[in-house]
Amino acid sequence: MEAIWLYQFRLIVIGDSTVGKSCLIRRFTEGRFAQVSDPTVGVDFFSRLVEIEPGKRIKLQIWDTAGQERFRSITRAYYRNSVGGLLLFDITNRRSFQNVHEWLEEAKAHVQPYQIVFVLVGHKCDLDTQRQVTRHEADKLATAYGMRYIETSARDAINVEKAFTDLTRDIYELVRKGEINIQEGWEGVKSGFVPNVVHSSEEVIKSDRRCLC
Amino acid sequence: MYHVLMKNTTVTDLNRNLLVETIRSITEILIWGDQNDSSVFDFFLEKNMFVFFLNILQQKSGRYICGQLLQTLNMLFENINHETSLYYLLSNNHVNSIIIHKFDFSDEEIMGYYICFLKTLSVKLNNHTVHFFYNEHTNDFALYTEAIKFFNHPEHMVRVAVRNITLNIYKVNNQPMLHYIRDKTAVPYFSNLVWFIGIHIIELDKCVQTDEDSLPQLISPQFISLPSIHLSPPIHLSLPIHLSLPHSSLSPPFISPLPIHLSLPHSSLSPPFILLLHSSLSPHSSLSPIHLSPHSSLPPHSSLFPFISLSPFISSLPIHLSIPHSSLSPFISLSPFISLSPHSSLSPFISLPHFISLPHSSLSPPFISLSPFISLSPISSISLSLQLISPPFLHPPETLEKSLEINRQRGRKKFQKRPNYKNLGEDGEEEKGPDDEIEMVIMEKSKAENSMFCVTEQNTTDEEKSAAAGAQDSQNRLFLDMVYNTLECTENDYFALFVLCLLYAMSHNTGIDPVKLEKIQLSLHTSKENLTYSHVLVEKLIRIMSQATQIDGKVRLATLELACLLLKQLVMVDRDCIIKDIHLACLEGAREESVHLLRHSYKNKPLNVEHLMMDESILLPPTGTPLTGIEFVKRLPCGDVERTRRAIRVFFMLRSLSLQLRKEPETQLPLTREEDLIKTDDVLDLNNSDLIACSVVTKDGEQVQRFLAVDIYQMSLVEPDSKRLGWGVVKFAGLLQDMQVTGVEDDSRALNITIHKPASTPHSMPFPILQATFIFSDHIRCIIAKQRLAKGRIQARRMKMQKISALLDLPVQPSTEVMGFGHPFQSTSQHLPFRFYEQSRRGLSDVTVQHSVFSSVDKVPGFAVAQCINQPDVSSSASSPPSSSSSSGSTGHCDSVTASLTSTPSTIQSPSDDASVSDLTQLALHSHIEPSNECARTKRSSIKIPDMEIANLAPSLTPAPQPTISLISSENTDPLSVESLTLVPPVDSNSIHTYSCIFQVPLESECSNGTEDETGDCTIVTNFSVQ
Repeated sequence: MEAIWLYQFRLIVIGDSTVGKSCLIRRFTEGRFAQVSDPTVGVDFFSRLVEIEPGKRIKLQIWDTAGQERFRSITRAYYRNSVGGLLLFDITNRRSFQNVHEWLEEAKAHVQPYQIVFVLVGHKCDLDTQRQVTRHEADKLATAYGMRYIETSARDAINVEKAFTDLTRDIYELVRKGEINIQEGWEGVKSGFVPNVVHSSEEVIKSDRRCLC
Repeated sequence: MYHVLMKNTTVTDLNRNLLVETIRSITEILIWGDQNDSSVFDFFLEKNMFVFFLNILQQKSGRYICGQLLQTLNMLFENINHETSLYYLLSNNHVNSIIIHKFDFSDEEIMGYYICFLKTLSVKLNNHTVHFFYNEHTNDFALYTEAIKFFNHPEHMVRVAVRNITLNIYKVNNQPMLHYIRDKTAVPYFSNLVWFIGIHIIELDKCVQTDEDSLPQLISPQFISLPSIHLSPPIHLSLPIHLSLPHSSLSPPFISPLPIHLSLPHSSLSPPFILLLHSSLSPHSSLSPIHLSPHSSLPPHSSLFPFISLSPFISSLPIHLSIPHSSLSPFISLSPFISLSPHSSLSPFISLPHFISLPHSSLSPPFISLSPFISLSPISSISLSLQLISPPFLHPPETLEKSLEINRQRGRKKFQKRPNYKNLGEDGEEEKGPDDEIEMVIMEKSKAENSMFCVTEQNTTDEEKSAAAGAQDSQNRLFLDMVYNTLECTENDYFALFVLCLLYAMSHNTGIDPVKLEKIQLSLHTSKENLTYSHVLVEKLIRIMSQATQIDGKVRLATLELACLLLKQLVMVDRDCIIKDIHLACLEGAREESVHLLRHSYKNKPLNVEHLMMDESILLPPTGTPLTGIEFVKRLPCGDVERTRRAIRVFFMLRSLSLQLRKEPETQLPLTREEDLIKTDDVLDLNNSDLIACSVVTKDGEQVQRFLAVDIYQMSLVEPDSKRLGWGVVKFAGLLQDMQVTGVEDDSRALNITIHKPASTPHSMPFPILQATFIFSDHIRCIIAKQRLAKGRIQARRMKMQKISALLDLPVQPSTEVMGFGHPFQSTSQHLPFRFYEQSRRGLSDVTVQHSVFSSVDKVPGFAVAQCINQPDVSSSASSPPSSSSSSGSTGHCDSVTASLTSTPSTIQSPSDDASVSDLTQLALHSHIEPSNECARTKRSSIKIPDMEIANLAPSLTPAPQPTISLISSENTDPLSVESLTLVPPVDSNSIHTYSCIFQVPLESECSNGTEDETGDCTIVTNFSVQ
C-alpha cells in the first residue's frame, strides 16, 4: 500500500554514458541487477521510500538520465527540479572520472536559482582489479567540491543503499535547518501527506471498488 | 483525483474488460494533472503506467482498445506542456515501439488515429527531442519511415498529414538526421513520390485535354479541385529541399558530400516533368503535336522556379549553383522521352528536343556535365528501383552513364530514331560497373574544365558532344525564341504568364550563373559597361503591354504586372535607366494607349456585354464568372465594371512604370495625401475662416462645444487655442467625401453627421469614425452649416475630378475652344472633354454615338465618375438658375478661393500663380457647365492654355497646404444650386464613393506596386451596386 512519507525528494543521477547509472538505480529501487541493459533513451523514472530515522520516511523520486551526449539537452531540463544528485563515474574508466567536473559545471549552470546537493559515486567497485581511479584522488576531488564520496557496486550491492540514504539524510538535515525550503513551483522537495486522511480514504475506495466488481 | 487514479491502477491490474474506460479516464486525469498538479504525473510515473499502455497494445486487444489508446496518447502528447513530462513520455523507446507497432491500417479509424498520432509527435519534434526518434547508432527513424509509407494513401487527409509530418521533420536542424534522410530514404521516397506525382499530372493533363475538347463552361467543381490536389505535391517536394538547403549550407564540413545528397532529391524532381512531357506529347502526337506540351510543362516549371530560387538566396555557395540546373534538367531529359514516342511523325519533335535541350546547355556551360548527370538519376530510380532500395551512391554514376548515352546519341544524329527507353535503361545497367566511378571522375573533371572555359560549351570528354557543339551556336537561341514566341499573346496570355514567371524566376535565381544570364541578357545585375539588353524580350514585353491596353485585350492583370516587373528589372541599372529611346517611346505609346483606354471607359462607350470566358484558374482555361472566386488579377475582366477596373489598373501600372523609367517622381498620385490633410491636434489659424459654433452630441451622449470649419477635403471640429487668439486646435478632422449629412426631423437646429472611415477593404462595412448630432444655436446657422458642408463636398469632389482629369491628360481646356461653338447646349456641353477626346482620336465626332453613350449611363462606374461631374450641373440648370447667375456665382466663388489662397499664410505661391490656378480650377469646373458666356470663356481659356500645361507637369494642382477656405461668398451668391444639390443625396454619396475608390487605387498601386489594389476595384463594385 502507498506508504506515508514526510518529504519527497527528487534526485537526479548523472554521469558519463555506461558508468552504470541505470543499474545503480535499479539495484536501489528494484533490488536486482540486470546483466544486460540497453542505453537509456532520454530519461527514466524511479521512486522508492527510504527510512532515515525510525518513523521518518522519505520518498525519493529518481530521474535516471541518459549519459549520451545527444540527450544532453533533454537531461538539462531535469536539473532544475532536483534537490539532490548522484554524480557517477566508473572507477574502471578514467575518462568518466575526468568528466565529473564538466557534469558538475553543467548541473550548476542549469540548477539556478535553486541549489542541489551532490554526492560523488565511484561505481563498479567490484571491479577493483581494473581500477583506474584511486580512492584517494576521488576523495580529494569530492572534498574539493565539498561533497561526499562513496564507492558502490550495483552488481554486488555494495554501498548502494548507503549512497542514497546518505544523500537523503544530508538533504533532510538541510531541509530541517531551513537551508532548503519548500517552494511553490519547485518540485525538488515536497512535504508529505497527512497519513490518516490518505489511509482512510483509500479504505473507502477499496471497498467501493470491490462492490463494483 | 489521486484516488481515482488509484482506482484506475487497480482496475488495470485486474483485467482488461474495463480497460478502455480506464484509459480514457487516466488520460483525462493526466492532462488535468499536467496543467494543475504535478503530483498526478508523478503518480503516473511511479506506477509506470505508460508501460501498461504498451502491454495493452501488444495484447492484440482488438481495434476498439487500440483506437482508444492511440487517441489517448495523441491527447497526451498534444496537451502536455511540461517538457520534463514530455521527455519522459518520449523516453526509452516506448513511443517508437508504438510507432512501429503493426496496427490494422485497413481500419479507417485506427489509421486516422495513427496518422494523427504521428503528426502530433512530429509537431513535438525539435532539436532536442529528435534524438528520441532518430537513433544514430542503429540508423533508425521510425517516425519518418513509417510516415512516408503512407504518402500515397488514398485518403487525402492522410496524405496531407504525411506531408505535414515530413515537413516537420525536415524542419529540425539536425545534421545526422538530415543526412540519414538524404542517404537512406530520399531516393526511394522522393522517386516514389515523384512517380505518383507524375501519374497525377498525367491525370491532370488528361483533364486539361478533355477540357479543351469539351465546352469550357462544363467545368465541374470537381475539376477545379483537381489541380489543387495535384499541384500540392510538387510544392511539397520543393519545400523539403528548400528547408534542407539552409541546413546543409550551415555546415561546411558536410559540403563535400552535399552535391550528391542534394542532387538526389533535386533530380528526383524532374520525373514529374518528364512524365508530364511524355504524357503530353505522346497522346497528342497524333493530333496537333506541340499543342499541349507548353500547356502542361510551363506551369509546373514556373511554379517550381520561384520555390527553388529561394534557396540560393540563402546561400550563394557555389555548390548550390547546381540546384537550378537540376530543375532545368527536365529539359534535357526530355529528349530521350521524345525519342521514345514511337511515332513516325517524329520530325517536329526532333527539332523540339534540340531547341529545348541545347539552349539549356548554353545557359549553363559550367554545369552542362552536371545537369545531365543530375537529370537522369530519378529515371533510373524509377525504372530500376521503385521498390529496390539501393545505396544512393550507386545512382549517380549509373545515371551518368545514361546521360552520357543520351548525349552521345543526341550528338550523333539528330534525325536518327532513338532506341527506346528500355534499351537505354539496359544500356545504363550494362555499363554500370567498376568503371562507373572512373567515368564520374572524368565527368567531374570536365565539369571543372567547363567552368573554366565557359566559352566552349560541351567538350573534352566526348568528341561527339563537341561535334554537336558547333551546331548549338545556331540553336542556342531557339529556346529563347520559343520562349519569346509564347509571349505573343494575341490569342490569350495563357502561356505568356507562365513564361514570364519562368523568366522572372530565372533572372532572380542567383543560382544561375550570371554569365549565362548575361548571355541571354536577362541579368539582374547588368554590368555598367554592358549597357545593352535583350531587345527582343523588351519588345515582346512592350507588346504585351500594348496588348493589355486594348479594350478587349486578353492580357490579365497579373501578366501585365509581371511584364512590368521584368521590364523594370531589365532596364534599370543602378537606378539608371538604360532603355533605348525607341523603346521608351513604345512604352509611352503603350501608356498613352492605356490612357486612352481609361478615357474610353471614363467616357464609357457602350460595350457589347459579351461574357468573356475567364480562366478558371491559372492552370485551366475554362470559363468562369466572378463567382468562381478567382482573383481578379488572374481573370479576364467580365462585364463593364471589371473592364473599367482593369483599365484603371492597367493605367496605373503603366504610369508608374513609365514614371520610373523616366526617373520622374510621382507628383499627382495619390490624389489625397496624408500630409496635406489636417490632423487631429493641429493648430490652425482660423482668423480668416468662418466658424460655426455648435455643440456636438456623440452617440454615447457626450456633449462638447466645438466650432465647425470646412476645408478643401475635410471638415474639422476645432476648439479655440488657449494661447493665440483666432487660432484653433483641431479636435476632429474627417474627409468630406466620407460624410453623410441628414437633418433631424424634430429639431431644426440639429444635423446628424456621420463620417465613415475610408474603407480599407471593399467588403468591410463602413465604419463610422464620427457619428454625432450637431446642434447649432439657431435654425439659420444650422442651414448655413449644412450648406457649407455640402458645398465643401462638391468642392472637394471637383478638386478630385480635376486632378483625375489632369492625371489622364484630359484636354479640358481646348475642348471649349473646339467644341464650344455650334452645338446644342446641354448635351454637348456636358460632354465636352469626352467629345474632344473622341474627336482627337477618331477625327470625327458622332453625335449619335454620344447620345447613345449617355443613354447607357447607369451601368458603368466609369460613367459614375462622369456623372458626378455632370450631376450638379444638371441639377443646377434643372433647378433653373439662369446660366448667367451660375456663372456669376462661379466667378464669385473663384474670387473667394483666390482670396483665401492669398490670405493663407502657408501658401507660398505668388498671387498671379494662385489666380491662374484657381482660375483654372474654376474653368475646369465650369467650362462644361454653361456655354452661354462664350466670349468670356474663350478669352479665359485662351489665357489658360499654358497654365494647363503647367498644371499637368508641375503639381500646382495638388493641394497646397490651405487649412481653411472661406466659402461664404459663393454660398451667398449661389444658394439655390447648393440647396438643390443637398436635396439629391444619393447622387452625392455615390459620386463621393467613386472618388474614394479612384484615389484608393493610386494609393495602393503606389504603395504595393499595385499588387493588392483589389480594394479600389471592389469599391467601384460596391459603388456600382449602390447605384
